[in-house]
Amino acid sequence: MATPARLFRRILPRTLSTPLSGRAYTSEALQSVPSQTPPAPVIRESPDRVKWDYRGQRKVIPLGQWIPKTAVDAYVAPNVVLAGQVVVCDGASVWNGAVLRGDLNKITVGFCSNVQERCVVHAAWSSPTGLPAETLIERFVTVGAYSLLRSCTIEPECIIGQHSILMEGSLVETHSILEAGSVVPPGRRIPSGELWAGNPAKFIRTLTHEETLEIPKLAVAVNDLSKSYFSEFLPYSTVYLEVEKLKKTLGISI
Amino acid sequence: MDRLGCRLQGNYYFQEQLSRHRTLMNLYDKSPVVDKDAFVAPSASIIGDVRVGQGSSIWYGCVLRGDVNNITVGSGTNIQDNSLVHVAKSNVSGKVLPTTIGDNVTIGHSAVIHGCTIEDEAFVGMGATLLDGVVVEKNAMVAAGALVRQHTKVPYGEVWGGNPAKFLRKLTSEEIAFISQSATNYVNLAKVHAAENAKPFDEIEFEKMLRKKYARRDEEYDSMLGVVRETPPELVLPDNILPEKSQKAVV
Repeated sequence: MATPARLFRRILPRTLSTPLSGRAYTSEALQSVPSQTPPAPVIRESPDRVKWDYRGQRKVIPLGQWIPKTAVDAYVAPNVVLAGQVVVCDGASVWNGAVLRGDLNKITVGFCSNVQERCVVHAAWSSPTGLPAETLIERFVTVGAYSLLRSCTIEPECIIGQHSILMEGSLVETHSILEAGSVVPPGRRIPSGELWAGNPAKFIRTLTHEETLEIPKLAVAVNDLSKSYFSEFLPYSTVYLEVEKLKKTLGISI
Repeated sequence: MDRLGCRLQGNYYFQEQLSRHRTLMNLYDKSPVVDKDAFVAPSASIIGDVRVGQGSSIWYGCVLRGDVNNITVGSGTNIQDNSLVHVAKSNVSGKVLPTTIGDNVTIGHSAVIHGCTIEDEAFVGMGATLLDGVVVEKNAMVAAGALVRQHTKVPYGEVWGGNPAKFLRKLTSEEIAFISQSATNYVNLAKVHAAENAKPFDEIEFEKMLRKKYARRDEEYDSMLGVVRETPPELVLPDNILPEKSQKAVV
């Protein structure tokens, strides 16, 4: 059963990348790759390595018995990678280019939270505070673009600014805001209702009542936006038709 | 039927294409050389003159762009998700700045490395930025979110952090041990990911089916029915990614 797929993948890079790329590559350049001899630290190349996988990157990567779970009305962008123990709850949204890698511990993205573009959420084995080292993003949390979260806990209704870094075992309590570009060192606790910023993060001021009311509104606004994205995607993609067409032109039986 | 629906949508319809992303791409005559034991995630891109040594791992969304100069990645090194490694223009003002990354280096998520030399067993934290000509010496550490300015040298066994990066403190011997530990952990972890990502379609479907069948149920439910469930060998992860086991392997 496995042979057609294997065969297909192995044949493809040689035969197809030239016409597909549409650039001035010669077939000699492609074939000269394995003949190169690397110097002192010997690098053994394998002929099996796929240079171009026709399937692209899979969105959901199960590891062992851990399957990433996504709720039916959560929006997960097509180039996100969910690996291992990841749970994306109802109404949550994970935006383009994010990587949620729960291979060592659990990652939860709570109700109506959003993890924006090119975030990396990862979990370590252990945290210095002794709390469970899972990454927990609770409900109505907005995690800004390019943020990095590693084994931290974010309680409900927080805002994490863009480019901020949260290290192992940090805890962001309810109704608090981290400014853009802040770095939270390992084991730091940010009390509720406060605004922190800087590298390393420092206390700036307490939040007013109006501001704390704004936080869930922002999360809901992003959720609304994600709904319009969600409606753009159909449950099944039609790429398999393309694959079949390509297989037919190459003369490989399906 | 499909085509009819597409016509109705007119211009707004976007025809889905096959993935045209290439994990390894050569530029003119420079082609990446990747060891067979290295893990390169399918969504990473390695372009141009790049060498990746044995046991290294390039995680999801990484970009190693060796277009104007060469990049060398040693063995047992990990470059974690969404990082970018790039090189400075070669032969401008007589200086050549290739990027060299040594053995057992850990480079955290979203790091940006531009024309640097990173020696063996160094640690570059999450979201750090290293500008041209930075040298990170053996067992040195760049803390998370640091921005290291041009031509800075991070000496042996020190921690640098902040923006711009300054000396913070000396590394303790435990932390130095942790760096090499984390590199080995990542080597093991990468193996698991590599196996999962290289699976052909049939195998994925087969395992999906297996998982459904052997989905974990309540202990009570099982004992009521009097069945003993066993996890099939395909679904058991290798022990070495679990913390206790891997520590034993190192000691």
